[in-house]
Amino acid sequence: MIKGSYRQKSENELIKATLDGDKLAFGEIVSRYQKMVARTVKSMLGDSVFSEDIGQEVFIKLFYSLSGFRGEAKLSTYIQKIAVNLTLNEIKRRKRFFSMFSQKGNNEMYEFEVADHETEEKKEASEIVSKALMNLDPKFRIIVAMRMLQGYSTKETAELLDLPLGTVLSRLSRAQQQLKDILRKL
Amino acid sequence: MKVSDLKELLIRSLDKEEDAGTTASKLEEAGVTFRFSEGFLEKILDRIYSSGSSVAHEIEFVRDLNYVFYRIAVAGVAAIVVLLITLFFVQGSFSLNSFLGMGNSYDESIFCLLTGN
Repeated sequence: MIKGSYRQKSENELIKATLDGDKLAFGEIVSRYQKMVARTVKSMLGDSVFSEDIGQEVFIKLFYSLSGFRGEAKLSTYIQKIAVNLTLNEIKRRKRFFSMFSQKGNNEMYEFEVADHETEEKKEASEIVSKALMNLDPKFRIIVAMRMLQGYSTKETAELLDLPLGTVLSRLSRAQQQLKDILRKL
Repeated sequence: MKVSDLKELLIRSLDKEEDAGTTASKLEEAGVTFRFSEGFLEKILDRIYSSGSSVAHEIEFVRDLNYVFYRIAVAGVAAIVVLLITLFFVQGSFSLNSFLGMGNSYDESIFCLLTGN
């Protein structure tokens, strides 16, 4: 759908073209960052229809806030912040709505639908990671997702989540312990 | 990648000194991928360019509606079950009359009332 010429354009050119009403330019932005957003949203919410909705909402929100984007941070960081905020809001929303039905944690509400993979081995790997993430406490899960799947350093994770570095480090260490326990059971 | 190696990689990825970028690419090689379904891009473009600026609020509203529906549906089913149980204990059956709150004996009295006989 996106023409080759758009692939060579810089972020700033794409943003400018989008603001001028170029639909394909925004399409190129979505193509470039949808994988990154999928990693954040799906690792936090599980592979479900709701995750797709949140993923779409991230880019719609980006579209409407693009005129206010001053370029002080990288576009990827800006999109990642939107994705993290919407995902965390969704988790809070689910917690609120489902708390009256379940005394257990809300992990049971997430769906596991591992996408098609080329081999059984890859499918199994994906399943293990998804299950491990879903069983983690959400406040640890977001840190694990940022570090393990997005490859952010501890400092970048702290900046992205607006948390002090010390908090990220302590959560990281507790998350590692929780992850060890979870993986032992899988 | 073997399951044991994968588990080891996941745990090691959270070590403070571990290079997070390397883990992310190793996991991707092992098949750990998260992606949106086919047509994701088209859906976004359709939503933005074919509707007005209220699209974001609309999505939120629809999702809220889904949650509310779920909530109401479960509460509604629970209420119906409680009502049925109560009816069964009070009236002793699930007949139409018991739903309407009328015993069989009422038929004649209503007939008398309406006809005056």
